[in-house]
Amino acid sequence: MKGSDRFRRLASYAFVAALAVAAVSCNEAHPNSTLDPHTDLGREIDFLWDRLLLFGTIVFVLVEVVLVFVVIKYRKRENQGPPPQTHGSTKLEIAWTLIPAVILVFIAVPTVRTIFISQAQAAPGSLNIDVTGHQWWWEFRYPDYGVTTANEIYLPVGRTVNFRLRSADVIHSFWAPELGGKRDVVTNRTNYIWYTPDTSIASNVWNGFCAEYCGASHANMRFRVFTVTPQQFESWVAGQKMPAKFGAVGPTAPTTGPIPPPLEGPGVTTPDGSNSATQAAQAAAHAIAQQSSGTGAVGGTQPAIPRSQNPEANPGARLGAAQSSVAAAPAGSAQPGYIFPHEQVPDYAIPHSPIPPGLKFTPGLTGNAHRGLKTFTSSPCIGCHSIAGNPMAMGTTGPNLTHVGSRLTIAAGRFPNTAAYLALWIKNARAMKPEVIMPTLGLDEYDPVLKTKVTSATGGLTDQQIADIVAYLTALK
Amino acid sequence: MATTARPAPKHSPDAYGEHSGLWSWLSTVDHKRIGVLYLYTALFFFMFGGVEAIIIRAQLGAPNQHLVSAEFYNQLFTMHGTTMIFLAIMPLSAAFFNFLIPLQIGARDVAFPRLNAFSYWVYLFGGIFITIPILFAVAPNDGWFGYAPLTTRAYSPGINIDFWVIGLLILGVSSLAAAFNFLTTIINLRAPGMTLMRMPMFTWMAFIVQVLLVLAFPVVTIALVFLLFDRFFGTNFYNTVSAGADPLLWQHLFWIFGHPEVYILVLPAFGLVSEVLPTYSKKPLFGYPVMVYSGILIAVLGFGVWAHHMFAVGLGPIADTFFGLTTMLIAIPTGVKIFNWIATMAQGSIRYTTAMLFGIGLVALFTIGGISGIMHASPPADLQQTDTYFIVAHFHYVLFGGSIMGIFGGIYHYFPKITGRLMDEKLGKIHFWLTVVAMNLTFFPMHFSGMLGMPRRIYTYDAGQGWDLFNAMSTAGAMIFPIAMLVFIYNFFVSRKRGEIAGSNPWGAGTLEWTIPSPPPEYNFAKIPTVTSRYPLWEGKEVDYECARINSQEGKTSADLGIVMPYSTIKPLLVALGLVTMFCGLIFARALIGVGAALMIFSLYSWLLSPLEPEHD
Repeated sequence: MKGSDRFRRLASYAFVAALAVAAVSCNEAHPNSTLDPHTDLGREIDFLWDRLLLFGTIVFVLVEVVLVFVVIKYRKRENQGPPPQTHGSTKLEIAWTLIPAVILVFIAVPTVRTIFISQAQAAPGSLNIDVTGHQWWWEFRYPDYGVTTANEIYLPVGRTVNFRLRSADVIHSFWAPELGGKRDVVTNRTNYIWYTPDTSIASNVWNGFCAEYCGASHANMRFRVFTVTPQQFESWVAGQKMPAKFGAVGPTAPTTGPIPPPLEGPGVTTPDGSNSATQAAQAAAHAIAQQSSGTGAVGGTQPAIPRSQNPEANPGARLGAAQSSVAAAPAGSAQPGYIFPHEQVPDYAIPHSPIPPGLKFTPGLTGNAHRGLKTFTSSPCIGCHSIAGNPMAMGTTGPNLTHVGSRLTIAAGRFPNTAAYLALWIKNARAMKPEVIMPTLGLDEYDPVLKTKVTSATGGLTDQQIADIVAYLTALK
Repeated sequence: MATTARPAPKHSPDAYGEHSGLWSWLSTVDHKRIGVLYLYTALFFFMFGGVEAIIIRAQLGAPNQHLVSAEFYNQLFTMHGTTMIFLAIMPLSAAFFNFLIPLQIGARDVAFPRLNAFSYWVYLFGGIFITIPILFAVAPNDGWFGYAPLTTRAYSPGINIDFWVIGLLILGVSSLAAAFNFLTTIINLRAPGMTLMRMPMFTWMAFIVQVLLVLAFPVVTIALVFLLFDRFFGTNFYNTVSAGADPLLWQHLFWIFGHPEVYILVLPAFGLVSEVLPTYSKKPLFGYPVMVYSGILIAVLGFGVWAHHMFAVGLGPIADTFFGLTTMLIAIPTGVKIFNWIATMAQGSIRYTTAMLFGIGLVALFTIGGISGIMHASPPADLQQTDTYFIVAHFHYVLFGGSIMGIFGGIYHYFPKITGRLMDEKLGKIHFWLTVVAMNLTFFPMHFSGMLGMPRRIYTYDAGQGWDLFNAMSTAGAMIFPIAMLVFIYNFFVSRKRGEIAGSNPWGAGTLEWTIPSPPPEYNFAKIPTVTSRYPLWEGKEVDYECARINSQEGKTSADLGIVMPYSTIKPLLVALGLVTMFCGLIFARALIGVGAALMIFSLYSWLLSPLEPEHD
């Protein structure tokens, strides 16, 4: 009697706990759920999942209920004789061999159908995107449009997208959970996965991940997918096809870059602090972007001639005044092409990674984009990065930076793409993201991979030089 | 209760005086003592792997934590998997193989006692070899599955992966030697009347596991030798350079080994539970032949499902269909086992001993792992599940809910046979309930974090991804495990010294090992029994009871009975030491290769020339 009471009590606790879990999990936001599909492939998979979950739950409940019943009912009692010494029952055993087999048929048939549907060739007219996995970032090429970008994909809704997956080094796995299943990115091989984003998800951002362990910074190999309307997509493509917006003199060429803000460890490492710093920095970058917009695209062969070398010439760009400068800036002035409005990006797509303790940037520095262009072009940066419009920057090891200023994140989704983070990133990428291939560049910074300090002899950059490069990169919309 | 006080036996459990002192342990060839060595060593590694897991969970308890660096985290999860699989669960099973197989089939020892000692020492040295690096933060860091080309010199230039490749090769030697030994033992050394279909279910599962080991380990050995050659001698089996190398070759070879390995890990626990459930239900195992056939079927099908680890690789629809369907098929014999266990308990007379609770726990929890397994047997569905925490949840229900629950059940069940004393039941039940709570609190939320998009093997994750709550739950659960283990360890060591004297058959079990004293004398059976049924103590004939009466007599030495026992010898240890030293040479100093080889060959030569036992009269 006592035993059965105890079991009943335990069962009721378990039930309440399960309900609590269910309730909490419904209230919380789940931006990467696989159970909330937004593509044809996602729905196919979700259909299978629902069926698997249904049969699984039935079997689970049946087995556990029978088990608990048996364990309680047949417990040893006082003065009980020896139990019947049964050795088996052919009928029963045939039954519980056949019943699971029948259940499996109901799973197997739709499974096989889905396998063949989802692995057929993508429909003609699909949008091809060549995905290349690198340690630890994603390269995305739109071969039909001649567009190359990194860590961010724009997809027009309602059109099938066919990802062609290749790896530059080790095996990765391409996965945007809300959009569909994952597919490994295998060395020496081209893999495919295709799906069609629902038209209902225009103007949304989705997180993507590398799902196959690929080395030290596997966790930091993320990407973002922007699902946009076909018109927005065309506009975005038009903008991306243009060479870098900033590269030479123009009548309204920006003379002053953003000022990397004074970043204090604790102020940024806490989620709240990070948020406000992020927003402020974003606002600053935004302000600069709007000032720099309207610049004509000119080839970068000529050195940029700054109209004013005086950093005080544009005090409004100081971070301290960032909020007011945003307010003062003209809203929505002519953009080079559509870019998903960064202020509409939901919180889950904005990185909150903390800045490593001890990594600091001189507060109050003002960058100059023209000087930055020169510094960039004469530094090791060009060995790894390409910038269309800057013929010196032809490297292909690192992400293409042609329109880096328009991106939401840097370091494959690890940090927000703001002047503040960008400055620290250039200063010591390897402290910001474990074992990243991009070297530590800040003068006197400790390179955690080479285990040495960066000197001027090894090409170390001063904070001012970095601020200039940040100003340049931020202007590359 | 079954544990009423008994009069103290004529001898203390520590009798057989010559068996003490360090030397006796280093030179033993007694399968029972080797089993005990396996048990202690594997329990140590189990706790070592547990500490690694706790650090992992502490890091993941909240988003963006940096308790340990990315590099060290990657070493931790690699070594957690490697440790638990190769250094904890497999050797815990081996402890039972060693201790139980000869006792269950009525043999005096295993077929090759010195080879048996050799297996243990290779395991110990190999385990130390692969574990030491993490203390210096240079441990293997590419996952227990070590996918090429990440493991090649180009992408893993350090010595980390060298330790992994060589360590696994060493451990493979141990497993293979042991497997051939047990196969020969089970085939050749069964007592008269112990037909295959009368063998206790644990021995049956052990038999199947040895076949799996013999067939699966050569495959991973080949894969590892390829990798070794790639790393040390510049061959091109897995490298990225497109000169014919194929990284998928590694995946195929690894999983052709890796999936049978899952059954190598879980079938011994199934065997233990098949001893535990009948004993405490006082009923024979339900459907014994079907349990045997389902075990065999699982093993056979286990070799035809490996590519279900590779559904995201893009093998094409035909391959995906084939491996999806075979994987679903394997659920049928596994389900039969679950149902037969429940039917064994039905209509029985169940005693809730700790061993029984762990047995019931296995049935209840392994079922969850089995069902989630079916969920990723469907290749398209698996595209959303593979490499997420859903998989982590699944295989922990299989390996913790299955293997570890079964092994703990086995420890509580056989502790009195091993030590002669009973473990404390009250502490045992506290251990059980803490383990059940910890296990479910840790691993059940991982189903949710996985389906909500959390990838595996990430050292950190960002805030606001919807995973915080479930990770916090998992971490809270993981912190309960050490408490449970402390209770167990305390119980284990106190009971070993001061536990109640057990007697030969404290649980009223029915199989041969319970006919002899606890702990068994070195010769096991004074008279090799004649067997007429599956449960000689329950449903045997007069001859069974007569043998049991003779064999239960205590206090006789082998000399009294005129039984010839093998000599103790240190040579297997020396051969193992030479072997491991030789491998160390690849990493540390090439000169060691010569030293190790010389020691190995000399000791082996000397081993082969010395007789196993005194000449028979």
